[in-house]
Amino acid sequence: MTVQVVTGNQAAGHALSLAAEANRTARGAACGIYPITPQTEIVEYVAKFPFSKGRVVPVESEHSAMAVSIGASLSGARAFTASSANGLAYMAENVMVAGFYRLPIVMVAVNRTLGPPWNIWADQGDTLMLRDFPWLQFYCETNQEVLDTTLLAFRLAEDARILLPALTCMDAFIVSHTQTETSMPEQDQVDRYLPDLRLPHRMHYDEARTVGGLAWPHEGLSMRLEIDEAMKRTPAVYEACRQAFIDIFGRDPGDTIQPYETDDAETVVVATGTMATTAREVVRKRREAGRKVGLVKLKLFRPFPEERLRDACGSANRIAVLDRNYAAGAGGVFWQDTRAAFQGRRDDLLIQNYLAGLCGGDVTPAVIETILDDLETREAAGEPVWMGIESGEEVTQ
Amino acid sequence: MIEIRIHGRGGQGGVTLAKLIATSRFLDGLSVQAFGLYAAERSGAPIQAFCRFSAEPITNRNLIYEPDHVIVLDPTLIAPALTSGLKPGGWILLNTPQAPSDFAEEFADYRIATVDATTIARDNGLGTRSMPIVNTALAGSVCRMLGFPLEEMHAALDHLGFQGPNISAATRAHDEALLLDAPRRPDGERLAVPPPGEARGPSIVKGAGAAMPAIKTGAWATEQPRRRQMIPPCNHVCPAGNNVQGFLNALAHDDVDKALDILLRSTPFPSVCGRACPAPCMDVCNRVELDGAVNVRQMERFAGDRGHADVGPDARRSERIAIVGSGPAGLTAAFHLARFGYRVEVFEAADEPGGLLTAGIPEFRLPEDVVAREIRRIVDLGVGIETNRRIDRPSLLYLTRRYDAVLVATGLQKPRELQLGLNGTQAVVQGIDFLDHVHRGDVRVDGEDVVVIGGGNTAMDAARSALRLGAASVRVVYRRTRDEMPAIGEEVDEALEEDIRIDYLTQPIVLHEVPTDGARRLYRLTCRRMEPGEPDESGRRAPLEVPGSDFDLACHRIILALGQSPDVSVFPEGTEVREGAQLLGLLETPVFAVGDLATSEGTVAGAIGSGRRSAVHIHNALSGDSIEITEHADALRDVDEWMDEVAGAGDMKLHLFERQAAVEGGDLPVEVRRSTFDEVHMGLEDTTEAARCMSCGVCNECDVCCTYCPEGMLRRVRHGLEFDYTYCKGCGVCATECPRNVIRMSQLSS
Repeated sequence: MTVQVVTGNQAAGHALSLAAEANRTARGAACGIYPITPQTEIVEYVAKFPFSKGRVVPVESEHSAMAVSIGASLSGARAFTASSANGLAYMAENVMVAGFYRLPIVMVAVNRTLGPPWNIWADQGDTLMLRDFPWLQFYCETNQEVLDTTLLAFRLAEDARILLPALTCMDAFIVSHTQTETSMPEQDQVDRYLPDLRLPHRMHYDEARTVGGLAWPHEGLSMRLEIDEAMKRTPAVYEACRQAFIDIFGRDPGDTIQPYETDDAETVVVATGTMATTAREVVRKRREAGRKVGLVKLKLFRPFPEERLRDACGSANRIAVLDRNYAAGAGGVFWQDTRAAFQGRRDDLLIQNYLAGLCGGDVTPAVIETILDDLETREAAGEPVWMGIESGEEVTQ
Repeated sequence: MIEIRIHGRGGQGGVTLAKLIATSRFLDGLSVQAFGLYAAERSGAPIQAFCRFSAEPITNRNLIYEPDHVIVLDPTLIAPALTSGLKPGGWILLNTPQAPSDFAEEFADYRIATVDATTIARDNGLGTRSMPIVNTALAGSVCRMLGFPLEEMHAALDHLGFQGPNISAATRAHDEALLLDAPRRPDGERLAVPPPGEARGPSIVKGAGAAMPAIKTGAWATEQPRRRQMIPPCNHVCPAGNNVQGFLNALAHDDVDKALDILLRSTPFPSVCGRACPAPCMDVCNRVELDGAVNVRQMERFAGDRGHADVGPDARRSERIAIVGSGPAGLTAAFHLARFGYRVEVFEAADEPGGLLTAGIPEFRLPEDVVAREIRRIVDLGVGIETNRRIDRPSLLYLTRRYDAVLVATGLQKPRELQLGLNGTQAVVQGIDFLDHVHRGDVRVDGEDVVVIGGGNTAMDAARSALRLGAASVRVVYRRTRDEMPAIGEEVDEALEEDIRIDYLTQPIVLHEVPTDGARRLYRLTCRRMEPGEPDESGRRAPLEVPGSDFDLACHRIILALGQSPDVSVFPEGTEVREGAQLLGLLETPVFAVGDLATSEGTVAGAIGSGRRSAVHIHNALSGDSIEITEHADALRDVDEWMDEVAGAGDMKLHLFERQAAVEGGDLPVEVRRSTFDEVHMGLEDTTEAARCMSCGVCNECDVCCTYCPEGMLRRVRHGLEFDYTYCKGCGVCATECPRNVIRMSQLSS
């Protein structure tokens, strides 16, 4: 294991390649993948990787990329892909199929603003668009976390108790294109961490089957219920995968929920991705000034870790939920789920939504200071607050 | 923590420089970040890159607003805005051959370093001459400027796989960097930092497309497209000077009247040439390389037969011009002179106008009414044609006294002879005489075996006429091969279809009468086999006799079609008759020879071209104008730049064209043809064939370039292309996609 200065994309490409290569003692690796800014570097990385069993299949679109990965996974190969923004929108039909087929495909998504208007910078609206599909979703903060979570995602997704595809997300450019020191594991470590993929419903040449044919209501219902059960098992299995990761790599890939200074916090910021890094710094400074403020970083979004989130927020009575996304007509997505988690349990709790960094805006410490100032002086929760826009101002040109 | 902002242009390696600096600090044990500020930029666009390093783990995930130092990769980016947010006392490293003191006034609050990284990069062969990659050189200067050991940068370069010339460049730039380590105004007032935009942006429903911040992408360009057109090969070779590409383009847009109008600018005989022209344009058509030549001949016929055009004199002039001979050359000259406004009289020895067109080309190839219609258009311009008026030497002198100019267009009158022994008897007739009788309808050859000697159109016409007049058999004897035959290829094909036999490499030697009992005389033509010899000056292989190969052909009639030569007896002896030369030089009245008489080209199209050139020449002489005839699409000449080069197949992007076979049109069935002089070729039904024209070298306004321009900065205004160079980033997509290659990229000088 060496520490290298690499981008988030290279870290992801490294994790995907090593994980897939680790399955060479079984059915090998295969995937379809299609480039899109800002994910292209991942495609370049995996396309250059000398897989000893299997290959990366060049395709003409994201829809086909996921189709190839579905076929590869169904036949027992370790399959992965990566995409972003409008590419994910185009891929969406097959993203859903992979989930309902219960295929342990791992996808790295670089969170980019959905266009139009055209925009290549960070916004989580693209992966959150897929939130109701049967996929596990992780939001990462650093290059290292992207790499570690991607490796962990394979072990988790392929666990016989789970068998669901997993999505690892990172902020466009802020992580994907920023080169910083990152610990890059060796193949033998990954080989030890990821056992051969044994897909129970794998397709065989000598045993013809149809998958995904017509199911009666009670059959479909059962399958949905099985997905829900797998989702419910996820936190526990995640913890096991995390411990195994620490054993082999000597590094913590991070908990599903990561509280910081929340023990006696009266005010808590809930944040994801790189916004959590900035928020942590602001919290640290406020703590130095004696303010009772904390941070809860949400790493796992699907399944939504409701109970862990409630516990992490402790006795705080004000929560600011930072959303780098906007669900049209409904505010921020993380805010909606956070509100739901406390529904009927803490009527005294003020949960306020702040839409920050949308469409690639830079969320500076000053932005978070403004948010905390607003939260601490607020009498009641209100409509989501749009950061970066002075309210009431008329459009002038 | 130290933060550095790098200003460069896309392709210069700014992000890699950030990574080099970061890596050198990482190898020194620091926490680092390196990143670019990405948008829609391409090569040449102004870009920014950043790096930060710190002894503590970096937790800042924001852009750099207040850098400690600034590095500028491109001298053209040196401007006051560089210092936006720059902390006072920070370094500004500039890639420039100038000294730091040159910038001391402009950047008075800062320390300044300069290095000529461009020269160093070029000397080390890094990048290209137009876009040298200066990042590794500047990395060396950064060490010097910030006081890091050069070895640490060498280690970073090595770590990232840079070797050889990059190491040398870094070392040299380290040594050659010039430092001005003392700000002129160390305690001066700090420049205001422009705050990041926080106001509400433009509304998409209130026209955000127009309100979006304009990025002048033209500033990124290193190349710019221009439309530069070339000469289409068809236009270039057309003996008549027709704008072939132009009329085909009009037909492709189903504008038959416009097509005719374009043709009438050069030729009064589109319907004639659309039948009788050997069409050299089709031989040079670039489409031959793809799927066969465009059927230009039939398209010209279509325009001539179906189009309507009003032609009238452009002016009224008092000068009177006499033209001797009403063949295609004389009538073309008359047509153009009449359009210039002159009063034109044509004198014709025969009893009807048209010369070769009426008397020399049979009905089945060129119907009489077609010729009559096109002659009528000339007469309607006010041209007088006096028939049965032969002009000899004395009457030519008379004309010079009564007219302001005289053109002599008597063509090729004297048929070439071949002495076979019975010349002068009814056994041997001349092809043009035979065809004249055919035209008058006073000859039949029922039951005869006819031998035609020659390989030109007269030979073919005579042979095919004989067949239609009842000949039992017709054979053509020609002393060379098919490749050398001057006749139009399609006509040879049609003759063969009609069961006319052609003996190639056969030389007639002598003709004997064979005694018979009947009323019909029988002859024996002794012939000798030939073989191709060495090519002569014209490139044609001279035939050589094969000894002992003589054989006999029985026949009832020999038709000689060996070509004609000019009859210059109308001029004083010793006159050198050639086009453009003023003859009878002692007279004030200009006298010119026109057409085959002057050029001996021997085609209708050549005669038309000569007639037009002579008309313009006369007009220039009489009026003092200086009209020039261009051999290509003069209608487009004023649109934009021309390259005086002919567009070859190699200039075209043939792969962008769909393969599509030529439309040939239908012929009368062979069995019908033997008994009728009805026109063999029935013409084309529509203008589909014109759409096959690739418009070589000439913009035909297909607008593919406008469609593909990713910036939307290219549009067509009438016949012109408007490139908005403010936004043209020089990507070259328009040039790549232009099927006819008329958009060329040119390098911008820096």
